[in-house]
Amino acid sequence: MERVVFDAAAAIAVVFAALMVLNRNPVKSVLALVVSFFFLAVAYVLLFAPFIAAIQVIVYAGAILVLFLFVLMLLNIRQEGVEKDPRPIQRILAGAAVLLFTIFLVTLLARHGAPPGLPATASETGAPHIADVARAVYSDFLLPFEALSVLLLAALVGAFVLVAKERGAKA
Amino acid sequence: MTLLEWVILVARVALPAMILPAIVIPLVWYERRVAAFIQDRPGPNRVGPFGLLQSPADILKLFMKEEVVPAQSDRFLFFLAPGLAVFAALSTFAVIPYGGTLTIGGKEVPLLGADISIGVLYVFAITSLSVYSLVLAGWSSNNKFSLMGGIRSSAQLISYELAMTTAAGGVILSASSFKLADIIAAQQGTWLGFVPRWNVFPQILGFLIFFIATFAETNRLPFDLPEAEAELVAGYHTEYSAMHFGSFFLAEYVNVIVSSALTVTLYFGGWSLPGFHPHGVVGVLLSLLVFAVKTALLVTVFIWVRWTLPRFRYDQLMALGWKVFLPLALMNLFWVAALEMWTGRR
Repeated sequence: MERVVFDAAAAIAVVFAALMVLNRNPVKSVLALVVSFFFLAVAYVLLFAPFIAAIQVIVYAGAILVLFLFVLMLLNIRQEGVEKDPRPIQRILAGAAVLLFTIFLVTLLARHGAPPGLPATASETGAPHIADVARAVYSDFLLPFEALSVLLLAALVGAFVLVAKERGAKA
Repeated sequence: MTLLEWVILVARVALPAMILPAIVIPLVWYERRVAAFIQDRPGPNRVGPFGLLQSPADILKLFMKEEVVPAQSDRFLFFLAPGLAVFAALSTFAVIPYGGTLTIGGKEVPLLGADISIGVLYVFAITSLSVYSLVLAGWSSNNKFSLMGGIRSSAQLISYELAMTTAAGGVILSASSFKLADIIAAQQGTWLGFVPRWNVFPQILGFLIFFIATFAETNRLPFDLPEAEAELVAGYHTEYSAMHFGSFFLAEYVNVIVSSALTVTLYFGGWSLPGFHPHGVVGVLLSLLVFAVKTALLVTVFIWVRWTLPRFRYDQLMALGWKVFLPLALMNLFWVAALEMWTGRR
């Protein structure tokens, strides 16, 4: 039963991710990504990671994509331009990258077999799971976690600098 | 599972979802009467006793009215938006405990939809998705006023969600659990023998931020900029008519009830009272009553504020959310953490 729901959620997530890329209307692309993220969260729940699932919905579907929509609606772009591709080599490289990734994935799976199935005994009840996540982030993976924070901070400062420069040019 | 367990499960989940929209009918009447009282006029008092049948009549009217769909709108998203609004409003209630534990056929049945480990986070996840109903309504209508309303709502909801979740972090910290049932359990007993151990007393700052932010999340005055009728006609639902407009209306009122219920659970001990231990069916019914009265009092505050305060200007709204509420909510979090260390519970 859980396996069926998981497969269905995974399939829907992939289909909507594809829709996101293929859709010519940017607002609908964002909406497709929202659906994709939501079903990714469903998959997380079935992998006994309800905390990650909730964060996925709150941060990605609920905040970041809303900001995407905000910008798209502010600019009021109805249709993506269909002008000629200025760099056709990008398409070829992207296709090659996808092919390479698929080959890697398939060979890895063929050599080591599929990852072990869903943990059967992990219980959904009780908070220890969330505590486990916190312990992992703040002890074992503290350095990568802090490095990520600094990276995000740098991006934030960079965004401010760019905006400030534009504003200075206008004034 | 036996048949009885199935029946109990369905009842636990479905009953609140059916009762909530039903409560909205008298709630609309109540709001109009309170508004009239504040404005020193009688209010609806002609249809039925005390005008009680005014709301059912209005809803009947909404169902019978002609449906007008703008020609250039995106039909699928246009009809999806109001449904999404009602879905998000109703499903939030699923994790809020609304009464004590009932014993049916030797089985203990806690009165809440689902006791999941991420409790509060589930509520925030659903509310963060509910913004899409407003944004989609604004965008799919193909109307500049609707679009402005949708844009405003997306910015407003994100800004206040941050302060709201940070304020609620204090409650989660003091209960050291995300489960709403545990949060209620952590608020049992009294201080000095007469002050209830409700979170509202040590975390008055957090409570104020959380409660004010719920006003912004439900688009109620003074935060109703997405539908500001003086500037935007009716904002995101300008193009909606008949029951699709009614769905937004319903969702707003359900959101008011659910926000009040959530605030009661986080800061006022939920269905519990100091010295009150519900036993048997009567006790559980009394706990339901306690929960209903507490929620009704907060709903009254919602209505009272709506008819007392004017609307914020857009820049005031943003400045308040980011420059006042967010730092204060972080301060509250530090205060609660310090309190937990001093009282030696960590």
